[in-house]
Amino acid sequence: MAFEGCPGSKMAYFEDKEVQDDAPEAKVKSRLRQWPVQLHLVSPMAPYFQGADVLLSADCVAYALGNFHGDYLKGKALAIACPKLDAEQDIYVEKIKGLIEDAKINTLTIMIMQVPCCSGLLRLAETAAQSAGRKVPIKYIVVGVQGEILQEAWV
Amino acid sequence: MEKYLNKGIKAVITEFPAIGAILDGYNIGCTLCGVGTCLLKDIVQVHNLSPEDEHSLMARISSVIYPDREVEMSFTPSVNAAPKPRSITYSPPMQGLVDEHTVIKRVLAMIPVIIETLDVSRYDDRRLVLDTVDFIRSYADKYHHAKEEEILFKEFDPNLEMVKVFNEDHMIGRGHVKAILEGLEKNDNQSVKEHLIGYRELLTGHIKREDEVLYPWMDRNLSITQVGSLSAMFTDVDRQFMDVREKQEAFVNRLEETNKFEEVR
Repeated sequence: MAFEGCPGSKMAYFEDKEVQDDAPEAKVKSRLRQWPVQLHLVSPMAPYFQGADVLLSADCVAYALGNFHGDYLKGKALAIACPKLDAEQDIYVEKIKGLIEDAKINTLTIMIMQVPCCSGLLRLAETAAQSAGRKVPIKYIVVGVQGEILQEAWV
Repeated sequence: MEKYLNKGIKAVITEFPAIGAILDGYNIGCTLCGVGTCLLKDIVQVHNLSPEDEHSLMARISSVIYPDREVEMSFTPSVNAAPKPRSITYSPPMQGLVDEHTVIKRVLAMIPVIIETLDVSRYDDRRLVLDTVDFIRSYADKYHHAKEEEILFKEFDPNLEMVKVFNEDHMIGRGHVKAILEGLEKNDNQSVKEHLIGYRELLTGHIKREDEVLYPWMDRNLSITQVGSLSAMFTDVDRQFMDVREKQEAFVNRLEETNKFEEVR
């Protein structure tokens, strides 16, 4: 694998990725508890956000991370967004602020990819949290393009 | 070996003093603990050693207990063992407790200065001791320790020896405070000094063990939902104690300013 240019959009092919051939193709139960999930479409007033542990995930995370549902989505309300391609991100800041202030969420976990542009989602959340009238613990998790957890820390 | 793994560390060290030195070598400061009822197996697990260090520590301990024979290691390495971070990072509610420790440590650092010329027959000196006791009671105890006892520790098994030990430290601290006030009443300068120093020594070790061992271990074992709920409950307590915090932080600033003491942070 080799990156060239912007790591957010340059091609990478993981041809040597080892997959255990005899691993059982178990049916993984979906842990999604709501619809919709896209941040522009969800409302902070939705019942599933009230007092919830919320996962705000960059779009690509669920594809990179093999155990996204069981290890990270389970028990949480979800919103997804792409800080690189999505428009009108000022609305995102207001939505996240609304989750903290109005939905009185319990915690916020931000999952982003390792590519630099993805850190924009964390910055949006930090901006929203700073302007909110209450504080919630915010954790961020950085996922590698091959699904490895690179960093996990509290904001 | 099982027998010793389930034994209080003080009893183990008393029987085998060399084990105290071995633990010191791994920065496990049980030899300084006044209580010592934590079980040997808990102590090894709670310090988040690497699997290699855990194994070598247990091998050295078993060679002290059974010098003449090789012991089959039935010890299970920590389930939540994580790579040792370069520096400790805390969840937000735990960071709040660590920040409160910083304020308490500033007062502990002033105690040698306070007792240096202490004469409890003088009004100003009595006032200073009473103000220090007021800080200990209202900030360190009613505000900070109550957060631990009434909220944080309740997230864990109350029968856990480690939690009992930290609760016991709080009780011993309250004993020192009571003795300081009794000393003042009897004009017993020596007793007031001794218990101020006793409190300082107790809390210095207590805070170090909480910052470096207990809180990181608790953080590793709390779910994110628990962290969120602790944060909300601590925020409520912070709000209730806002006046106390402002008053006592002003006292600490005055204390340092009066004594021209460089802040210890």
